[in-house]
Amino acid sequence: MVYVLAVVIASYTLSWKESVACAIGSVTAFNFFFVPPRLTFQVDSQEHLIALFTMLLVALVISHLAADLRRETEAARLNAQRAGQLQMLATDLASASTPEEIAALGRAALDSAFDGPCVLALCEPQAEQGFSADLPDSLRNAMQCCVNEAAVLGPGTGRWPGLDAWYLPLGSKGQMSGAVCVQSANSGDHSGREHAQALCSLLGQALWRVRLTSTVLAAQQEAQRQQMQSTFLAAISHDLRTPLAAVVGAASSLQTQRDKLSSSEQERLLVSIVSEATYLSTLTENTLQLVRLTSASQVLNRDWESMEEIVGAVLARVRQRDTKRRIKSRVPEHLPLIQADPVLLAQLIGNLLDNALKYSTDAIDLSVSANAHELLVNVKDRGPGIPHEQVHTLFEPFSHTDRTGQRGAGLGLAVCKAIALAHGGSLTFRHRQGGGSTFTLTLPVDAQQPEKEQV
Amino acid sequence: MTLRVLVLEDDREIRSLMQSSLTAEGFAVQTAVSVSEAKALLQHTTPDVVVLDLGLPDGDGIELVHAVRKRYSLPILVVSARHQESQKIQLLDAGADDYLTKPFSVGELLARIRVALRHRGTALDAAVKVHVLDDLHVDLTRHLVQCRGETLHLTPTEFKLLARLVRSAGRVVTHRQLLSDVWGAEFTEHTHYLRLYMAQLRAKIEADPAEPRHLLTETGIGYRLAVV
Repeated sequence: MVYVLAVVIASYTLSWKESVACAIGSVTAFNFFFVPPRLTFQVDSQEHLIALFTMLLVALVISHLAADLRRETEAARLNAQRAGQLQMLATDLASASTPEEIAALGRAALDSAFDGPCVLALCEPQAEQGFSADLPDSLRNAMQCCVNEAAVLGPGTGRWPGLDAWYLPLGSKGQMSGAVCVQSANSGDHSGREHAQALCSLLGQALWRVRLTSTVLAAQQEAQRQQMQSTFLAAISHDLRTPLAAVVGAASSLQTQRDKLSSSEQERLLVSIVSEATYLSTLTENTLQLVRLTSASQVLNRDWESMEEIVGAVLARVRQRDTKRRIKSRVPEHLPLIQADPVLLAQLIGNLLDNALKYSTDAIDLSVSANAHELLVNVKDRGPGIPHEQVHTLFEPFSHTDRTGQRGAGLGLAVCKAIALAHGGSLTFRHRQGGGSTFTLTLPVDAQQPEKEQV
Repeated sequence: MTLRVLVLEDDREIRSLMQSSLTAEGFAVQTAVSVSEAKALLQHTTPDVVVLDLGLPDGDGIELVHAVRKRYSLPILVVSARHQESQKIQLLDAGADDYLTKPFSVGELLARIRVALRHRGTALDAAVKVHVLDDLHVDLTRHLVQCRGETLHLTPTEFKLLARLVRSAGRVVTHRQLLSDVWGAEFTEHTHYLRLYMAQLRAKIEADPAEPRHLLTETGIGYRLAVV
């Protein structure tokens, strides 16, 4: 019994050849030590000889069975491991959003699943454009062929069995995103190849999903851009033509009929030229600013800024048109500094004050306040306010909220909103109690304020 | 004496507009369309003011500023479109005196030229030691700052900052220039020092710090001590 146990353990833990050797060795040893005549390899009786052969046969059968069992256990363990890996990869892929991330996940998974070096390369969907020229020629050709045929190549696949590696496509026919090369492939290793195929099919799907998403996104952006452009063109052509016509009319009239015009009429034409041209200039500036702010590449010139200073600079400019000092400002001391583009913020606050001056005749309140997280700038007027039906389009470009018949392309507030958003803040409108409008700019405040130097 | 102005502007319309309006004001105007032409002109004549447009076809206005600064201390005015802040600051740092943003009125241009000439004139005679405007009186030699008839007590840093602005009274001084002159060359990125000390200075000097009369902010560029 001890002998059988030893044979079972040996065959389960050792390889097939070793366990056979072990079985033969142990029968020989049994013969040597226990079968009379003892301490010789001779066998006296025929019964003993038969018993010895039976023992050897039993040992060999057991070792064969045990080795089979071991192989199956190992295969089961490998399968479980591979299933786990597939599941993990699927989970990881769900959160990957770029082809590069997916490729990195794929490389990691292949490297952990197979011993030999694995190569993963991406390609363009049009198979002719192919793979990067950085790859070695033989590798690139095989990958290209694998993608063209949309099938696995290599040992055991029936295609190009002479290769020493498997080449697997990433994606199905017409939706190719790349290919994988798994080195030192074995034609008999069916489950290994199936695992590689399963991994590649997951990767192929993920790559195609990402590609589709980005195509859809690009198409949406393009549509949005074209929509914006046509709105812009329609609005600009109207808004530019009117003042241009006025400028050209007044200037040509001065050019041809100056002698016939009284000096007051000449003066009136000159004033009109200057004011229309100024309006055109503001309009151009706002349009450009809006395009810049809504383009993805917009970078703010941020620095530590003081709202007190920005408001001071804006007031210095706006007061030229506020000769009656209608704007009453309240700016507390020791406001937190903010990381902001001061030129843009000055433009925002200036626009709000200009509007308030234009659309109202009473006092205008400009107040700044701050708490731990936010800085608030309020501009309140007692003007006619915004009609309810126009409130929701107030900040949209060219919405033409034509208040009190005053001209305005409706660009100013769109620019203001874009500036607030670019700073991670917001710009909101509220009807003011007792009539008029309240515009509130909210900007985030860094909890980490800069320190004064130690002197 | 007729003052000579060198106008460097590549746009024909604006160049001729500046030429006619400056001539009408009694200046002798020379024009150039490129940096190389301006340099050639400077070989033969010395103007009293240079008006320089940003974004010239043959490159960098900064080159011209350096070339002028090497030999003359005449005022240089930079004319720029909006959104050229960084280039503008570069030129001011390199030694340009002031800037104008397009579109500007002729009146504005003339006013800037007058300020630049007046202060360049006094700067040539002697370094500015005394600054008086309305109720503010600063005497750098006596280390004295008086406001509304009272003597103010400034910290050493506050005084250095004010003194730097007094020495360039009426002209814009960039953040970088202030930081490097008051704190040292290694502090040129510490704009927040300026924000904090400027707030302190204004609290002491200005009647209404939120709407300063003396210590003016040039948004995104620097500061200017008011002279009018």
